[in-house]
Amino acid sequence: MIDTMFSSLFAMLSSPHIMGLMLIGVFLGLIVGVTPGIGGRLSIALAIPFVFGMDMVGGAVFLLTMHAVNGTSGQISSIMFGVPGDGDDAATVLDGYPMAKKGEAGRALGASITASGVGGIIGAIVFAIMIPIIEPVVLAFSPAEFFLLALLGITFIAFISGRGNIFKGIIVGFYGMILATVGMDPQTGTARFAGDYLFLWDGLSLVTAVLALFAVPEMIALGVKGGSIAAVSLEGTRYSYRQLLEGVMEVPRHWWLVVRTSIIGAVIGMIPGLGSSAASWFCYGHAVQSSKTPERFGKGAVEGVIAPETGSNSREGGSLLPTLFFGIPGSSGFAVLMGAFLILGIQPGPKMITEQLPLVWTLIWALVVGNLIAVIFLLFICRWVAMLTFINGALLVPFIVVLVAVGSYINEGRWENLLILVGLSAIGYGLLRAGWPRAPFVIGLVLGVIAEKSLHTALALWGLEFFLRPLSLVLIGLIVATIGFAIYKTLRPSKALEESGAVP
Amino acid sequence: MKSSLVKYSNSVMTVVMLAIFVVLVGLASGYPPGARFMPLVVGIPAIVLCLLQLALDARERRRGAAEISDTRSELEKAGEKVSRMVGRRVDFRISHEFMPGVGPEISPQEMVRRELVLWGYFLGFIAGIIVFGFWAAIPVFLVAFLRFQAKAGWLFSLGLGIGASVLMSFVFERLFRVVLHTGFVTDYVLGLFGG
Repeated sequence: MIDTMFSSLFAMLSSPHIMGLMLIGVFLGLIVGVTPGIGGRLSIALAIPFVFGMDMVGGAVFLLTMHAVNGTSGQISSIMFGVPGDGDDAATVLDGYPMAKKGEAGRALGASITASGVGGIIGAIVFAIMIPIIEPVVLAFSPAEFFLLALLGITFIAFISGRGNIFKGIIVGFYGMILATVGMDPQTGTARFAGDYLFLWDGLSLVTAVLALFAVPEMIALGVKGGSIAAVSLEGTRYSYRQLLEGVMEVPRHWWLVVRTSIIGAVIGMIPGLGSSAASWFCYGHAVQSSKTPERFGKGAVEGVIAPETGSNSREGGSLLPTLFFGIPGSSGFAVLMGAFLILGIQPGPKMITEQLPLVWTLIWALVVGNLIAVIFLLFICRWVAMLTFINGALLVPFIVVLVAVGSYINEGRWENLLILVGLSAIGYGLLRAGWPRAPFVIGLVLGVIAEKSLHTALALWGLEFFLRPLSLVLIGLIVATIGFAIYKTLRPSKALEESGAVP
Repeated sequence: MKSSLVKYSNSVMTVVMLAIFVVLVGLASGYPPGARFMPLVVGIPAIVLCLLQLALDARERRRGAAEISDTRSELEKAGEKVSRMVGRRVDFRISHEFMPGVGPEISPQEMVRRELVLWGYFLGFIAGIIVFGFWAAIPVFLVAFLRFQAKAGWLFSLGLGIGASVLMSFVFERLFRVVLHTGFVTDYVLGLFGG
């Protein structure tokens, strides 16, 4: 294990190709993080066509670093202008923006950027420590259990993204799974749902489907919303590099809080179903509760900036564990990332330990090195990166639509994919408009083919007794428990809302 | 008004999904046993779930969406959470327009109008690609969108639209060596001139 660990690091650092891709990934991730209207999921969806056909390691490192550093730059606008990049950064606004208004923007930025980077690194370390612990559990799964794992993945992601209604998420997941059956059936040679259209015989293009479900609806929604953030005070943007350095030093000064919140964030990331912003809010709450002077929070306490940033970024390392080893993404962002990994040929499951351990270590090191690069980069350029917040969303829409059309075409070189793009985009926009989750679709679509193969294998090996195997029973129990809890929440909404703090 | 629109679109979406699954299950039932197995394993439970969802939609409508859905903004929820943690009322005074996903209220009619316009641009662009090819459709789409939808000036729209098209052409055709669709009409016209 130690050999693999260090040989992966050496191979990564000595490869100009991988390091170059990582630098591009970090740069794009930081830009996307601060640009309004482009979230982590959308950026991954847009990048998929360009990594299609790329080597597995390079593509995965590029996508992971791009996704991992997204939150690091999102906080800049939270602190300087009180404009969070996404839900994860909202907790940083609470103390970061008051600090900026008090003339301490540099200190807040230095502390948050460093905390974010350190959190990302500790999250990766926690993931690495968990590998030998989780190994026996992962190896207990046979490829035949993948059908139930796929159902569990859909159930979890439906629970996360369903906003209190798990059925919608599962329906969307099943929609993805049934679309995965389009094309030539490997068992019988029947062209399913393809008719005489030859371009459908190879199945639906994954890239086109992901772009249609995520990118096009988001762009139309952004175009409908229109406008940009215009009227914010720029007083928070003035700071010196000395202030920034003072902020950096706040992180070692609060090292124990950093370690605690990083571990909390990583553990939250490992538990699918807790949602993407849970880590930052939980860590913020922990900082308030463990402080001797909680009354300072909300008025510009530096711990209120450090805690959510470490928690939010360490979650990335934690989320990688269920994504890679069980095929269950820890958040909706990781659902799209997992879809991209599958397109690259990375199949989550026991093989990640038995055959792909060097790749796992490369990804862990990519998180560590990517976060370090992002921190160094941002400490120098955050003042200018922040200005991207003011880009008019309407100006971005046509360029992203062009990239979507090109991306949909180039991976198979078929113009018919553009027609599929239009059809699936209409469904995707309908889902977005009606508030239905879209992340389960990706899981269903990408795992559908593997799940079908696994189901056939399992039934051939064990017949219907497959469902009575101990591991199968555990997975079925988890699925039933998740659905049961979600139904309970749906049928008892008032109580559930009260518990979650929605009803005062 | 907004919540009733969401409720309405919710049921429409459930019916659309139900229709999709019914059609796909219907088609799959005509396939040989091995080929229809997975579509039926997935499709039949999905139909049951869609019917359940329709019942939930009806129940939600009866109870009134306002009672059961949490319509507060992320900022208000955050204020509530932190107030509980610190044991006193905390009011984060950040304008709602700065919060992600929260914008000024748009009337349903205006929203539908904007949606139709944007879908028009999108469909026009895709049709343009298929008929005239990428390198004719991209600059036209970019300039038209920037000028008429994003309300940018002519000079800015032309400069950015044409500049970006040239850059993309260089990146894809020269750097990545990707040959993009040239368009059926463009091919036909070039064919007439022996191109």
